[in-house]
Amino acid sequence: MKVRVNGEEVFLTKETSMAAIIAERKINPQAVVVEYNGVILTREKFDSVILKENDALEIVAFVGGG
Amino acid sequence: METQLIVSGQPIRSRFFLGTGKFASYKIMREAIISSGAHIVTVALRRIDPQAKEENILEYIPKDCIVMANTSGARNAEEAIRVARLARALGCGNWIKIEVIPDNKYLLPDNAQTIYATEVLAKEGFIVMPYVNPDLADARRLRDAGAASIMPLGAPIGTNKGIALRELIKILIEEIELPIVVDAGIGRPSHAAQAMEIGAAAVLVNTAVATSDDPVSVARAFSLAVEAGRLAYECGISPIRESAQASSPLTGFLR
Repeated sequence: MKVRVNGEEVFLTKETSMAAIIAERKINPQAVVVEYNGVILTREKFDSVILKENDALEIVAFVGGG
Repeated sequence: METQLIVSGQPIRSRFFLGTGKFASYKIMREAIISSGAHIVTVALRRIDPQAKEENILEYIPKDCIVMANTSGARNAEEAIRVARLARALGCGNWIKIEVIPDNKYLLPDNAQTIYATEVLAKEGFIVMPYVNPDLADARRLRDAGAASIMPLGAPIGTNKGIALRELIKILIEEIELPIVVDAGIGRPSHAAQAMEIGAAAVLVNTAVATSDDPVSVARAFSLAVEAGRLAYECGISPIRESAQASSPLTGFLR
């Protein structure tokens, strides 16, 4: 199954939750928010969302800026 | 003593706002925030890069600061609105600096798109601080759209050229009852003081602090200049004259 994570194609071989995608990348879930197929998903929902074919994820966080 | 700055009904402790970009480390950024006494600090939103092992910037921003996300990277209103909503979902409150920048060379904002984004986000309960070209008609449109403040640029971002748009900014200060915050282009403490002397409510500085040799001390220098400039404005500084006026008594006893 193919999904897009921050613009890059990722192939998944087993059922994967949003929480797992984030944990695999060693990202602190407290510091991010995800835009999931254009809809905002806050961290409380990461466990309950299971990814589907062609899902698009943008995982974003705050950085320095003016 | 200076009067207190109020933005959207909220008292703000310092008229010096600090951007958090370009610092050598988050630790130095934190020290600069503390040394300047800034109450409002800006941050940006970016895609996470798992390889970069970035730390969470929020852990380095003092808890009593207002974290205002900007919409940098947005080229139109739609993108700015999207970024603002994501920023709010990250849980740092409602403050948003809208910047819509379609131009890569001068990084000048698109006022029309900014006005539209302001209208949408103000209705959604955001405290909207739009970064714009200083244009009086557009400033009125922003006020009517629900902006909490107007943030005209002094000069293009990162140029350190000072208050190049001084005359136009003065018009906004005189005509718009919202706080006018000069953002971008302020490269020296003297520029910050000049903005405050003409009646700006606050200034926002980033590059000039973050890229200096000693950001912690420079942040403090800017903050002092802002205070001095504001105090001078509120005291009613003496007007500029074309001919000389003696400061010592010309008693004429020598003749």
